[in-house]
Amino acid sequence: MIELKNIEKYYANKGVKSYILRHVTTSIKQGEFVSIMGPSGAGKSTLLNILGMLEEPTYGQYEFMGEDVVSLNERKRIELYRNHIGFVFQAYHLIDEMTVAENIEAPLLYKKVPGSERKSRVADILDRFNMVAKSDLFPNQLSGGQQQLVGIARALVAQPSIILADEPTGNLQSTQALQIMDLFKKLNEEEGITIVQVTHSEVNAAYGSRILHLLDGVIKEDVVVQQTV
Amino acid sequence: MFRLNLKIALRNLWKNKGYTLINVGGLAIGLASCMVLLLYVAYEWSYDKQFKNYDKTYVVYLNSVSSTDIVSYGVTPAPMAKEISEKIQGVAYASHSSTPTNELLSYKQNNFKKAAIFADPSFLKILDYKFIKGNPMKVLQETNSVILTQTMARNLFGDEDPINKTVKFQNSEPLKVEAVIEDVPKNSTIQFDYLMPWSLNEKLNIWVKNATWGSNAFLTLMQLKDNKYLDNVSGQIKGIYKRNWKNSENEGLMHPLSKWHLYDKFENGKSTGGKIDQIRIFIVLAFCILLIACVNFMNLSTARSEKRSREVGVRKAIGSSRKSLIGQFLMESMVLSLIGMLVAFTLIEISLPYFNNLLNIQLVINYQDWKFWSTLLGLTIITGFIAGSYPAFYLSSFEPVKVLKGFAAIGGSSLSVRRVLVVFQFVFAACLIVCTGVIYQQLNFIKNKPIGYDRNGLIEIPVQGNLKGKEKLDLVKDQLLKSGAATSVTYFSHSLNQFGDATFDFSWPGKNPKELILFNYRGTGYDFTETTGAKIIAGREFSSRFVDTVNVLVNETAVKIMGLKQPVGTIIKWDDTPVTIVGVMKDFVMESPYQKVNPLVMYNPTSNYNYIIARLNPDQNLSSSVSTIDNIIKKFNPDFPVDHRFVNDDFESKLQNEKLLGTLSNWFGGFAVFISCLGLLGLALFMAEQRKKEISIRKVLGASTANILTLLNKDFIKLVAIANLIAFPLAYIIISHWLSAYSFRVAISVLPFAIAVGLSFLIAILTVSIQSVKVAKSNPVDALKYE
Repeated sequence: MIELKNIEKYYANKGVKSYILRHVTTSIKQGEFVSIMGPSGAGKSTLLNILGMLEEPTYGQYEFMGEDVVSLNERKRIELYRNHIGFVFQAYHLIDEMTVAENIEAPLLYKKVPGSERKSRVADILDRFNMVAKSDLFPNQLSGGQQQLVGIARALVAQPSIILADEPTGNLQSTQALQIMDLFKKLNEEEGITIVQVTHSEVNAAYGSRILHLLDGVIKEDVVVQQTV
Repeated sequence: MFRLNLKIALRNLWKNKGYTLINVGGLAIGLASCMVLLLYVAYEWSYDKQFKNYDKTYVVYLNSVSSTDIVSYGVTPAPMAKEISEKIQGVAYASHSSTPTNELLSYKQNNFKKAAIFADPSFLKILDYKFIKGNPMKVLQETNSVILTQTMARNLFGDEDPINKTVKFQNSEPLKVEAVIEDVPKNSTIQFDYLMPWSLNEKLNIWVKNATWGSNAFLTLMQLKDNKYLDNVSGQIKGIYKRNWKNSENEGLMHPLSKWHLYDKFENGKSTGGKIDQIRIFIVLAFCILLIACVNFMNLSTARSEKRSREVGVRKAIGSSRKSLIGQFLMESMVLSLIGMLVAFTLIEISLPYFNNLLNIQLVINYQDWKFWSTLLGLTIITGFIAGSYPAFYLSSFEPVKVLKGFAAIGGSSLSVRRVLVVFQFVFAACLIVCTGVIYQQLNFIKNKPIGYDRNGLIEIPVQGNLKGKEKLDLVKDQLLKSGAATSVTYFSHSLNQFGDATFDFSWPGKNPKELILFNYRGTGYDFTETTGAKIIAGREFSSRFVDTVNVLVNETAVKIMGLKQPVGTIIKWDDTPVTIVGVMKDFVMESPYQKVNPLVMYNPTSNYNYIIARLNPDQNLSSSVSTIDNIIKKFNPDFPVDHRFVNDDFESKLQNEKLLGTLSNWFGGFAVFISCLGLLGLALFMAEQRKKEISIRKVLGASTANILTLLNKDFIKLVAIANLIAFPLAYIIISHWLSAYSFRVAISVLPFAIAVGLSFLIAILTVSIQSVKVAKSNPVDALKYE
């Protein structure tokens, strides 16, 4: 599904290149649950952003479902992105001015899904996440865990084939974090959605099927997790 | 999508009420100012265009050609109309009419002195006034008949049907009311309250009947069958004087009716503008104010970008394209400008009566007029678009990763754009302050400039009805003086402020016979200097002790033009009659206070006075003096209203145009300054927000509130200073151009510029400080703990 070849990312500052990523080559298959780990500044988030097409690599080749992302034009890239990628942020990043239902509906609007289908899909996902009662509340009326649930619901509603999560539990208490990780695992196993998450936590990483260890922009280790949970 | 965006836009506006208020307020004032100015421009523009064939109608001007230049007058000889309609191909109608004068018309006990015009039937063919009663085909043919305007008819007759009733003109001629027409629109150059047949004019004034091509005293209007004849006809009009009046150097000029009002200035026999220049200024002013309001909006929206940036990032991260974001932001500004428009609409309705009163015009919103609605809507949409475009493109350009990580990376370039915008606003504001200042100085200068006589406490009474005749006048004078209400009385052939009779027919020893110089001439009674306060600088004035029938007074300018070394005693010729100069007057202003005084000759007729001029007794209460005078006049002349006028009022009405300009630029300049302040507030808001952390750190390090205020104000002072530096040369150029139209003008002084500097700095510091005090006083920990 994802093929990365020799991905490099650096910022040139007064002639000095400061590398974020170096020679990153890996592939992620459909249905995998990958955790990216590593110390601060290792380039985890940058890698995730590149995967999510929010950033462009300085150099290297990136194929997403057989398409060369780097050479795609903006319109096509947004198209690809809309249809296949769902993003979940550490700080949730819900739109404050929108209600829960509207936040979830937003990606469908950009995808130009017809109104009736939009309604049913939003209703469906609200139901699945047990949040029907909260659909008319605004984000600041919810707890952190609930906000992150909305964030995941928003990522899922467009029926992406991959979810990219940047420390999804970083701002949450541990019980809420466990809930979220359980949800991810369920999505991965029952619906076959590919998940890539950035995390600091060994516990969270253990939910996944594979761990990429990043250090100073280089993949140090690529471990397959033995399912113990 | 649209509905959701709309909903979110509204929610956003509601959530930030203060910001919405500033924005809507700015846009509303901008839109309202623009609309009021445009309404005024449209009003001026619509002058004389109410008539069906206005585009084919022309006013004939006289180009008086002399050795030095060509001077144009809007008056022509009486026989011209007949000549045009009979001899020139392609002319549909030509008419002659008198210039309107206030004459008495009465019915039973109702007396009114209102504007009257004598005209021939073609006059109504060219200008299709709407008839309410009467047959338009049969009017102005019978000698003793009259057409009334609706208001005049109502004044005279109340609810009675006026048709075929008889009214009295000048208390002597009985006239049958033939028709009633709608009131003449205010935006029409020809203004009258009733219309009488030309034949009556000829019957009452023998000189009209015998008028030749030499006396240019009437208005000639002509209408072409089609404008394709224009070239041919105007060629023939040009030579019309020479064909009909031997030795005439005069030329005819066709001036379109539609340009009569706005293009009223002529130079060298060609129309060179006039009021249109002022109209252009107003158009520019209208759009500049709107632009300032737009700039304001841009400033405020981009200043709030930090708050919006996260939303942009998230929207992009969940799949929004840039286009749909631009659409969203544009819609928000559209919604705002729509709300602004509603407020503006209310403001316009509230302010229009005030402006109408102030400018003595009749602006109304014509709700049936699609042009008004489309302009309003068009302006709103354009405003929304201009105001929203920069924020939309700017905000939508954010890269999601950067804004989601934090805002610090961006801001530099957009800040400088905002700086440019604020400088632009203040350039405009400072320009307006300077210009308004100079306009007021000029107005004051003209008002206070000595005009050669003392116009205060001077009253004029028209000589009419029983007052006519030297014996009667002397009797009135005697009684006025005895009553103690007046200290001195004289008679004059014209009103003191009136433009009037002038002639080329003076010659003097050493005059170049080819040179044509126009001299004003006026008839005056005894005690002229004592009454008006004008000064004799050589010789004497007319007096009962002498016989002055062949003596004249001249003014200084006349002496200069004639080049006389010893004016008193010199014999000059008027037509071919020799007259002796017995005195020289100091120049005094009768015509335009802005122009140099024309040469003047005053003679002492036995009759033919049209005005009594009286100096009110300064020791007495003004209103009691005036009512005493009124009573005396009324006693002599019970059938006519007294109709006294204060010379000062008439003089001030000559300053109307400049007063109007002063008032308008004052008001709209004020608005522009106000809106600019809002813009500055926006920028201050943003700066304070941006530098919150810096300020907090400084406070932790020990800076006081005053230190911080100075720090924040310094940047803005710089901007305002730059704006002033740009504005000054600009304002100087504009205002010198404006002043150059006046031969008497105030020297441009430092004062208006100093005011502009002082005012803009004061405003800037106040605005910025109000905003930044909040930040400067806030607890530093609040800002720092989020880091």
